Amino acid sequence: RYVRQLQRLQFLFSPTAADSRGARQFVEEAAQDFARQHPDVVLYVSPRSGMAPVVRAEYLNGTVREELIASKTSEEIVQLITKMANQSGLDIIRIRKPFHTDNPSIQGQWHPLTNKPSILTVQGPRLQPQ
Amino acid sequence: MVVLSAARWVRSRLTDRFWRVQEVLKYARHFRGRKNRCYKLAMRSVRRAFVRSTKARREKKRILRTLWITRIGAASLEHGLKYPAFIGNLLKSQVELNRKVLADLAIYEPKTFKSLAALATRRRQEGFLAALGDGKEPEGIFSRVVRH
Repeated sequence: RYVRQLQRLQFLFSPTAADSRGARQFVEEAAQDFARQHPDVVLYVSPRSGMAPVVRAEYLNGTVREELIASKTSEEIVQLITKMANQSGLDIIRIRKPFHTDNPSIQGQWHPLTNKPSILTVQGPRLQPQ
Repeated sequence: MVVLSAARWVRSRLTDRFWRVQEVLKYARHFRGRKNRCYKLAMRSVRRAFVRSTKARREKKRILRTLWITRIGAASLEHGLKYPAFIGNLLKSQVELNRKVLADLAIYEPKTFKSLAALATRRRQEGFLAALGDGKEPEGIFSRVVRH
């Protein structure tokens, strides 16, 4: 069953600044629809004046991602938070390998004595010199 | 007094310089010498590093393939076969494993690799019998080709 990795979204913007206009429109119009469509995400709206408007996303694995929403329209903010809601909290960096195993070797990893006669490895009772 | 346009004698100052410089320096942090600190030197070094990384993507494929080939050759020598014989006989027995997978098997599954080497030796002997023998012996089992 699908578990949404986004835990909460915090909208921090000022009630009077000009660049928070899109954020204010979003909170008035589209925030309730978004909250209804995504019931497992919690939305928090708090005022923060003197700083740029920001939306902070916290994921289940603990990563916190902040995105600027200054001078963005309401629709752009909706697009942005739907994108964040569909992401997982893994870091957005280049994946070195598209595969990973915890047990890469089943028959035992090769070491220089795998294909040598076992007389070299086995320590039995001391062999008599012949 | 309502001011609708900025006064003409006010010129704008560049306030973003720090971040524009950091955009370049963040890619130069692991370099050696002054090019990890000084913007002018870092610009040149970062640009050359990016050019080299794009060109190296084509070389990486070649480098990895030669690495796999050396590893497979070394592993097959442990079982008494040389690399060309091993690969040629595997292909003749219709085992179409690529070099990446063969190298991984040689490292992590040595017994599987041993059985593949045995298959290649057997196919090699059957090939010699078919070529040098007189046609009186039956065809080898591993020389049978399945057409899909």
